[in-house]
Amino acid sequence: MEAQMTTTTTAPRFQEFWRVFRNNYMGLVGFMMLVVAIIVAILAPVLSPYDPSSTLNVTTTDIYNPPSAAHWLGTDDAGQDVLTNFIFGARVSLTIGFFAAFISLVIGGVLGIIAGFYGGRTEELIMRFTDIMLVIPDLPLMMVVIALTKPSIFNIILVIGLLYWTTTARMVRSQTLAVKSRKFVLRARAIGSSKRHIIRRHILPLVLPILVVQAVLVVSSAVLAESTLSFLGLGDPTALSWGQMLNYAFGRGAMSTGAWWALVVPGFGIVWVVLGLTLLGQGLEQVLNPRLDTHHLMPGRPVVRNEANEDAEKSTGKSPLLEVRNLSIHYVNNGKPPARAVENISFNLQEGELIGLVGESGCGKTTLMLSLLRLLPSAGQIVNGRVLFNGRDLTALTEDELNSVRWSGISIVFQGAMNALNPVRTVGEQIAEAIIKHLPGFPKENLSARVVELLDLVGIAADHKDHFPHQYSGGMRQRAMIAMALACNPQVIVADEPTTALDVMIQAQILELLDRLRKKLGLAIIFVTHDLGVVAEMCDKVLVMYGGVTAEYADVDVIYNNPKHPYTQELLKAFPDLTKPKKKLSSIPGYPPRLDALPAGCRFAPRCPAAFKRCHTDPPSLHKLGDGHIASCHLLEASS
Amino acid sequence: MSADHFLEVRGLKKYFDVGHATLFSRQPRNLHAVDGVDLTLRHSEVIALVGESGCGKSTLALLLMGLEDPTEGIVTLEGRDITHLDDHQRKDLRRKIQMVFQDPYESLNPTQTIEEIVTEPLAVHGIANTPDRDQRVKKAMEDAGLKPAEVYLKRYPHELSGGQRQRVVIAAALVLEPEIILADEPVSMLDVSIRAEIINLLAELRITRQIAVIFITHDLGSVGFFADRVAVMYLGRIVEIGTMLEVLEKPQHPYTRALISVIPVPNPRLRHERIILQGETPNPIDLPSGCRFHPRCPVAFATCKVSDPRLIPLSKTHQAACLLLVK
Amino acid sequence: MKRWRYLLGKISWALFTILFVIILNFFLFRILPGDPARAGVRDPRLTKENIEAIRVRYGLDKPIINCFESLNPVKIGSCAVNPLDTQFFIYMGNLLQGDMMISFHTNRPVTEILSERLWNTVILIGAGQILAILVGVLFGMFSAWKARTALDFASLTISLVAWSIPTFWLGVILLFWGSNNGMPIAGMSTPGMSSYPLLTQWGDIARHMFLPTLTYTIVYMGEYMLIMRSSLLDVLSEDYILTAKAKGLSIFQILKDHAIKNAMLPLVTIIAINLGFTVGGVIQIETVFSWPGLGMTTVEALNRRDFPVLQGAFLLIAVAVILSNLLADLAYSYLDPRVKTE
Repeated sequence: MEAQMTTTTTAPRFQEFWRVFRNNYMGLVGFMMLVVAIIVAILAPVLSPYDPSSTLNVTTTDIYNPPSAAHWLGTDDAGQDVLTNFIFGARVSLTIGFFAAFISLVIGGVLGIIAGFYGGRTEELIMRFTDIMLVIPDLPLMMVVIALTKPSIFNIILVIGLLYWTTTARMVRSQTLAVKSRKFVLRARAIGSSKRHIIRRHILPLVLPILVVQAVLVVSSAVLAESTLSFLGLGDPTALSWGQMLNYAFGRGAMSTGAWWALVVPGFGIVWVVLGLTLLGQGLEQVLNPRLDTHHLMPGRPVVRNEANEDAEKSTGKSPLLEVRNLSIHYVNNGKPPARAVENISFNLQEGELIGLVGESGCGKTTLMLSLLRLLPSAGQIVNGRVLFNGRDLTALTEDELNSVRWSGISIVFQGAMNALNPVRTVGEQIAEAIIKHLPGFPKENLSARVVELLDLVGIAADHKDHFPHQYSGGMRQRAMIAMALACNPQVIVADEPTTALDVMIQAQILELLDRLRKKLGLAIIFVTHDLGVVAEMCDKVLVMYGGVTAEYADVDVIYNNPKHPYTQELLKAFPDLTKPKKKLSSIPGYPPRLDALPAGCRFAPRCPAAFKRCHTDPPSLHKLGDGHIASCHLLEASS
Repeated sequence: MSADHFLEVRGLKKYFDVGHATLFSRQPRNLHAVDGVDLTLRHSEVIALVGESGCGKSTLALLLMGLEDPTEGIVTLEGRDITHLDDHQRKDLRRKIQMVFQDPYESLNPTQTIEEIVTEPLAVHGIANTPDRDQRVKKAMEDAGLKPAEVYLKRYPHELSGGQRQRVVIAAALVLEPEIILADEPVSMLDVSIRAEIINLLAELRITRQIAVIFITHDLGSVGFFADRVAVMYLGRIVEIGTMLEVLEKPQHPYTRALISVIPVPNPRLRHERIILQGETPNPIDLPSGCRFHPRCPVAFATCKVSDPRLIPLSKTHQAACLLLVK
Repeated sequence: MKRWRYLLGKISWALFTILFVIILNFFLFRILPGDPARAGVRDPRLTKENIEAIRVRYGLDKPIINCFESLNPVKIGSCAVNPLDTQFFIYMGNLLQGDMMISFHTNRPVTEILSERLWNTVILIGAGQILAILVGVLFGMFSAWKARTALDFASLTISLVAWSIPTFWLGVILLFWGSNNGMPIAGMSTPGMSSYPLLTQWGDIARHMFLPTLTYTIVYMGEYMLIMRSSLLDVLSEDYILTAKAKGLSIFQILKDHAIKNAMLPLVTIIAINLGFTVGGVIQIETVFSWPGLGMTTVEALNRRDFPVLQGAFLLIAVAVILSNLLADLAYSYLDPRVKTE
């Protein structure tokens, strides 16, 4: 359901690519370095102070002269100007690098696409051959081949090209496989497209970016390979590449004469080109394959509390188990105004109560859920409000204090339990881990029995204790997640879309399980979902969220039979009801707002059938409609 | 051939060999994805094909599209056998049957513009250079609810919302002027508030363009007013089929009953008893003996373990495969 | 059961690859130009009879294999030869007995030369690899954990630079530096050391090892760091890390129990794939520091056109890499439960 938030591979058309690449310093620096090297190579005759082919006027006194006005970078073993040779060396090294890379990319690209697209025996054969070529150490093989043939530029290009295609082939194949399994290829087949058409129009455009990154890396490997071969004395003796310069200097006494310039300069050239290509490759990779630059262990942002805004009113009667008061959360957005993901949300949870948190994708329900235990991603920040658990303000605790509340007081059943369980540890271990952490006095010998007991509670047989998550079915993983959540006898469980990816029957089993456990153990549950039907079946109270704010908050019966907020009303009309099979469903026109581009007034106004002028300018406040019923709509001003 | 037998499926089977090839032997093990399905689709009719994951409904769709070859059985369209066709015949047939996929994020090529996507089918069928091309593309897009079409032509899929993308997929299907659309879970990835607009769109197409729709879904709740008939699948077979009202209001197969009972009703005053089946659908490799539903059936009796029921007619339109219905 | 099938598959594949390399090794030297006898024995004083005698001694007078007298130039021969009397099967037979011909240059059996040199290389690779992995993994972990901080940026830059330096050049620079600072510059021990106590001898070897190992470590740690960083970043943004955090585990516990092992999995594969490249690095390092290992032997054989040694060294290196790959595969199957079980 949150799919809309995660923009998967978007179209990296050129302009868009450039817009992002421009801001990637790594790639940009690499690109500049490479451009400089290419310019030097092209303009070699103009730039170099001497003619490289002239050996006139060289006497023994010219050998290994240190840098001077006449020879800025000194002279080499033949008395030639190092700078001149360095500049012309760029030509040799780059030419060999680019041509060899070209050959290997063509071979690797074609084999990779054929293997990935056609599959079956063709793929088996190609990939097996690739595997063999991959394990044969390539430098020794190149050495043997060049030693047996004649070391010439042509042979070197050929040998590097013919041996460096393996990684390209593997990469292109896996990318082709990934693209091929995407539905648009199936759709293209359903249209009647030929294989050629599919490869040309659908596979190639999506494999090309990978190939470009790979090309950059292969060029750098080829430059390195050439210099290594030359250094080992297998280079073309007539072409003075950087590697060859080093070979001569090292082999002809630069070391003993202390002629560091003859050793340092050519190496610098190689490092310059290879580093430039590496940086460019890394930069391209980051741009074409962007990944989140955050992870879950990054320190969270400090909680800010604007006391003036806080609702001074204290809750009446019995103090609730969990009370969320005026909670607001923003996502910091790189200098742009922050995304106001959650604003001014309040709700109460009593012992044994089940509250439904309902909303569509991007409405902020997951953000709200994560903020209760301060598990927000590092860009998220609580900018106002309190979370009171047993009267203790969780937003004011230190990380260590919070760690003792996490799981033992409030635990979470995450959605899509496949990724929420560690794939390389057994389910039993992962359950026991929570017990060890929070119940330090728990006798070790009873640990295993307790894990079995918990698994039994959720209907998993004891012998599955030592199995790994991938051995469980989807429904079982969700059960295991529930068992884990129960491990430390928490008072509150937050269930985040626990049934979303499951089949209807498994979904019903999980819901029944939660309901049973709740009654048996007196749990309070916050049930986060987009499914109105599930909420009606289970919950006591409902909080309907829209675009990060409370639309309506009331007892379940009120929400379904006397909803006041137009969003709640429209949502119910859009929801199918089996008891009225002939009812025509209606949809809400438009789409939920993006949190970084919220409308000025009521966040629902652009889609609201009852919106009037004021709705587009003023955000509505929360109106109390009696007995715990709250809704935020200008229409309700009179009735509150 | 009467119009009543527009698309007809007889005894359709699809087995996938999932046996492991070992060093010395190769034991064939079959995954019975589709295991003997009979189905008739009439002109501009909407059939909902309902079942849980692994029941074979998606494989059935691929078989009907000719994207998989059946192991057994025949498919006819207007009396013509279309089970095994060569590439050329198959390509012609594609213009008549089109498909809409579950995930609108995945079923559009991110590097193509909307115009390229909607025009592509015409290009593939060599009708892209006709003078009415632009008109045809525009009409398909506007029929799919992308109005005005010009606004969308130069955009890329990632610039559209989920609902809009699904409309693009539908437009790309409509541009070939098909007579049948196979919709495989077309709304399950969309937000609740916009699901109805896609379903309503499909419902309109059958009226405006006389398109028959096979609507594949796991959600019995969403088939409501839209489907003429409902077919419930379990482990590769249809276990109950009837008109929408017959199946939803008078389900006869215990599996259908259970499925209907667990669909949440959006009204807390109507909380009801649910028939929750235990365990999970068995894997389609080692099928249970007898009635394949018997291990999970709440009303199974001794005969169910040995006897495999066929579809039993209950009315002119209603059939179910359960031994309890054998008199 | 599944695991046995996996292991069996891996082992038989490795054997097949070794066979492939053996055959490749044989034909490579016969297809490519340069008759071993002609190229290897270039002494102008040799008479035709001498050369013929050498050819007979090395078995080069026999047909290559049934139907082929020679492959470069291609000369079709009789097919009705006793296969066991062809070069190919003699080569295979000798190989089975651990016999890899005799060096053109020193007249010693190749097997003997190589087995002397093998351990020197193993020591160098072992020390360098362990250090490179330790340093790389440590930096990578830190970098990922502190992603997008100055620390991360610094270690990323160092790694990228280290990765871009050609191995031999770094060796040359370090050697240059070392020779000006009193470090030993060639070989693995000072001559005449054998009369000293064992401990002194070891100290001497360690001093000789310092620069080659340092070169090795710098060159390979960059890559391990980059891989560890990206792998750990991937793991740390997985949902199960959020689960662990929600469980109230400390950052240290999460890293230790949930992140490191998962992040190491891809690294194991990469290390295995890298072994082929590693050998390339070792050849360069040994050449620069005159370390008497397989790499130096290969380069020496190359310069002297000592084909039996070259052939033997190539085969030994290739087989060693294949076996190490196999080892890594087996290690992976122990680390990742998803391989063991369905």
